[in-house]
Amino acid sequence: MRNAFKSNNIKLDEFEALVQITVELAKFLYPYLRQILQSRDDFIRNPKPWQEFKLRYTELISERLNTNSMKVKRLIDSSCNDEIFNKIIFTLALCVSDNGFLKLRTSLLNY
Amino acid sequence: MLQNKILFNQSSVSLEIVGLPDYSNNENKDNISIISQWKLMIIDKTVIEGNLHHLKSIMKAFYSYSNSLLNNEDANYASKLIDIFPENFYTHNLLLKSSKPDVKALELSIGNAVFTDIINVFDKLCSSNKVKNIYSKEFKSLNNKKYLNLLFDKKNILNTLLPPIYSLLSIFIISTTLIFLYDGNENKDNRSFFNTKNKLISINPTNKIL
Repeated sequence: MRNAFKSNNIKLDEFEALVQITVELAKFLYPYLRQILQSRDDFIRNPKPWQEFKLRYTELISERLNTNSMKVKRLIDSSCNDEIFNKIIFTLALCVSDNGFLKLRTSLLNY
Repeated sequence: MLQNKILFNQSSVSLEIVGLPDYSNNENKDNISIISQWKLMIIDKTVIEGNLHHLKSIMKAFYSYSNSLLNNEDANYASKLIDIFPENFYTHNLLLKSSKPDVKALELSIGNAVFTDIINVFDKLCSSNKVKNIYSKEFKSLNNKKYLNLLFDKKNILNTLLPPIYSLLSIFIISTTLIFLYDGNENKDNRSFFNTKNKLISINPTNKIL
């Protein structure tokens, strides 16, 4: 899915380090994550944070991922990506506790 | 005797724990080991309260529901005290059943934001040094259960080992049956045919010379 010519296989240590960084960032960004989730829950009254997040995330995906892939095309498609984007933010928001690393790692390994 | 109160806050949710320290264990007087009462306060929703047994069952319900959501499983939790089921991907319905007779069940609908706040409040309670007697081990094991299952599950091991064994066995059986079907006489006939042909070829040039 990545927009790269080299295919690098990630090692378990590197994967765990990335998960740890993501959890630490999620802890730091929890108020923003909550705001985005709140906006999706109450979309009629407060749609701005959710729309802004979706716009920026779609931009990042189209910049860095291979847009010719069907999976990436489906991710960018605004008519059907609400659920998966919501799932990403929701998973991050659930993993901000002390054992958040274990939760996120288990979730990713089971995906 | 004055009871201790500890409050855990997370955005729109706050959890109040009321109880006493265990003096027989020489504990700090600010700690709580014997929980007598708790209150879960969510903004714009009814206050939920009860005893230690209720708190444990509610925590277990929320943790197992959130774990099934994280692991992409069918997220439905039903117990004697609490039912949790999803309405859509951003709304969850809670049905809190009272242990007292003739009391109607309380229905609450919460969004993802409030749900994460509740989970984070429970996480704070589990990791707190001041409140004890909450069996966090069970909740921790819930988190790792699926991953450990993936590694040590018999079905998983069988799923990985059986396909190559089946393929090797099938190759062996097919090759052995083909050996039995192989007719040696036919080959001998062919050989004799080739030999006579060669002899004829060798005779032909001599005829020409003659």
